[in-house]
Amino acid sequence: MRSSKWLSLICVLILTVGTIAACSSGSSNNQNDQSSKQSQQQNSTSNQAGNGQQAAPADEKPFHITLAVSQVDEIPPQDSEIQLAIQEYTNTTLDIQWIPGSAYADKINVMIAADEMPMAMRVTYTPAIISSIQSGLFWEIGPYLDQFPNLSAQNPQYYENIKVDGKLYGIPQYRDIGRAALIFRKDWLEKLGMNVPKTVDEYYNVARAMVSDDPDGDGQNNTYGFLLHKNFFSGSAAASTRLAVSLGAPNKWAVDENGKFTPEFEHPVHLEVLKMFRKLYQEGAINQDFAAVDESEVLKIFDASRAGLRVAVAQNAGSMQSRVLQTDPNAVFDVEPLTGPMGIRVSGELGNNGFFVFPKSKVKTEEDLLKILTFFDKLLDEDMNTLQRRGILNKHYEETADGKHKWLDFDLFQREVKPYRDMLLNMEGYKILPLQDTPIAEKAQKIAEDNTKYTVPNPALTLTSPTYSERGGELDQLMTDAMIKFVMGNIDEAGYQAEIQKWRSMGGDKIIQEYEAEYAKMGK
Amino acid sequence: MVQDKTLSNRIVDYINYFLLLVFGLAAVLPFVYVIAVSFTDPVEVAKGGIILFPKKFSLAAYEYIFSTNVLLRSLGVSIYITVVGTIINLVFTSLMAYPLAKTYLRGRQLILMGVLFTMLFSGGLIPTYFVVKAVGLTNTLWSLMIPSAISGFNLIVLKNFFQSIPEGLEDSAKIDGCNDFGVLLRIVIPLSMPAMATFALFYAVGHWNTFFSAIIYINDNKLWPVQVLLREVVIMAQSRIGDTEMDEAMIQPLTIRMAVIVFATLPILLVYPFLQKHFAKGVLLGSVKG
Repeated sequence: MRSSKWLSLICVLILTVGTIAACSSGSSNNQNDQSSKQSQQQNSTSNQAGNGQQAAPADEKPFHITLAVSQVDEIPPQDSEIQLAIQEYTNTTLDIQWIPGSAYADKINVMIAADEMPMAMRVTYTPAIISSIQSGLFWEIGPYLDQFPNLSAQNPQYYENIKVDGKLYGIPQYRDIGRAALIFRKDWLEKLGMNVPKTVDEYYNVARAMVSDDPDGDGQNNTYGFLLHKNFFSGSAAASTRLAVSLGAPNKWAVDENGKFTPEFEHPVHLEVLKMFRKLYQEGAINQDFAAVDESEVLKIFDASRAGLRVAVAQNAGSMQSRVLQTDPNAVFDVEPLTGPMGIRVSGELGNNGFFVFPKSKVKTEEDLLKILTFFDKLLDEDMNTLQRRGILNKHYEETADGKHKWLDFDLFQREVKPYRDMLLNMEGYKILPLQDTPIAEKAQKIAEDNTKYTVPNPALTLTSPTYSERGGELDQLMTDAMIKFVMGNIDEAGYQAEIQKWRSMGGDKIIQEYEAEYAKMGK
Repeated sequence: MVQDKTLSNRIVDYINYFLLLVFGLAAVLPFVYVIAVSFTDPVEVAKGGIILFPKKFSLAAYEYIFSTNVLLRSLGVSIYITVVGTIINLVFTSLMAYPLAKTYLRGRQLILMGVLFTMLFSGGLIPTYFVVKAVGLTNTLWSLMIPSAISGFNLIVLKNFFQSIPEGLEDSAKIDGCNDFGVLLRIVIPLSMPAMATFALFYAVGHWNTFFSAIIYINDNKLWPVQVLLREVVIMAQSRIGDTEMDEAMIQPLTIRMAVIVFATLPILLVYPFLQKHFAKGVLLGSVKG
């Protein structure tokens, strides 16, 4: 009797579980229902964008586009106001798949291998993607670009930075190329009677003074100038590179007129910068535990009004200022372009946060490709650009009397609109009214826009080096560790040079050769 | 005979108490911090410092995370795959371990070799994905429960456990008219309760922590378990600083991250004590004598 009770229990469980499974596998059907519901909504009256766009004429059905992008904070629903407005304006129905950043690269690889790609897929410029592109999976869109007014109006450098073998296969998610700037405590500089530093020695003096001369006047030695952290020397946007470039060093790689490549750390200015940090560290003017600390930890010290010099993205200035006011209502941050003995020099960055590629297996005809490119082009029209960067008029922002935009509900914008802004195509300063913000944020924005004239590009950005794809991570880590050890005083200059030699023999030399060969092939 | 505690005994005792206290605190304090921060007013937290007790009590973080039903839904998904997944695990693992425990089974060595092989080598992410896709499990919750239904390690341990049950018991059950299924259900499994409880716990925790498979196999974000959300809110928020994102102002305040952590850990924390009594009991029970 007991065994039949067990058996019946198991059967009941299987039945319930089976029914639930039927419901969950029915969810993919739900998605199709949803998109057909949306296109019905499309054709009925719905004027949410308020710009008077009527429903599409009866003979032009909305074009369905599937997209895969990286998840940004919370995922907005498929029928969010913003998405509906975009669909209405561009006459499309969108099916956006948001992929979490934590397993993004793996997921994209799986999607490519299993041919489960959407029509437009956001990828990043990594060796795996580059080889997928080279194997011909995606449309080359370079020749089509001039059919689209907005896309072709952007700075060509954006497209240069994502070319593979000299050809363009995607549309970048535009980010400022010259956004690095110096953010510093203006009130402290005034109290110390010093100017914005422009040479290595001046940086040293200012950083030193901020530590020992009590710039906040509270009688305690609790302030810092520079604050380092464990990622200060690593990555394509390393703060050390940004600083060194402004003072004369190359942006990651230098190429001379004979096509010879030299890495940045073999340039004397870069070494000067490291030596300055080393001296500051020895004198206790740098946080002694920096090698173990995340940048977020370091930011807290800025927020607590106890640090004064930061090399970062210019637009951070606005948020840093508003955060520090919570602790110290008299604190004043300022932002200036990074200037050195040769004037303003800003390390050119990637110019993108990924780019969209269009798989040939899902975008079957040239006609479809053109429709997708039209969609992206329309995203840069004034209405769409404003929608993505400001949200909805009188809900997230309002227009001021002098023709600017002002935030009404920034937090709501962050929740509802930011995912679209970060993942789709839009551009601050292009076909959009300027944002009225705190003076420092407006200044920062202007600096980021102006800096495009002063950028120093990384000549190796689009060159492929098999050795770098294989061992680049290891080699970069080697050099980062060497720099950190040098700054901390664990190795001396001879030791540091020995590390560079090690880098060379472990693969650095091969990388240089490969870059030089590629460079020569480009015929530049 | 109770000995009077000599001085040296007492000192050793106190040192023990002290060390245990230190280790205990070291384990508990971070968790107390997480809970305390999640209940503190965000402005207080921004000022920095260590908070062990909310200076200013506030439910703001919890209001925020419950303002959409995303978190609750993912909790539902997590509970579902943990409960159903663990049941599937236990049923299939014991169904496979029991025959393998019989030494007279034909082909037994071969099957065990096969199991061992899978423990050492794995197909890799993409081939596994193809298999799951071919069976039609992608984008369903089954992809998280069926491919991992039997863990090789647990299988072998359970098989050994079954082998240690004296044959005499099974024989006497057979004489009384039980068939193989009956022996399994009525004799062997009840005797293996401590082992079953232990495996239930291992499997349950494994299911509760699912996040990578969920991202790879499931595209529908309504079906994501709570760990995926947790990772996004806590870790990605931190690593996004200094990245190419334009605006860093959207880093979730510490209170919200802590609230999500508490929310994601609480259920499993509540389940632990109930299962613990089962396998603690089992460890003490000897096997049948004679």
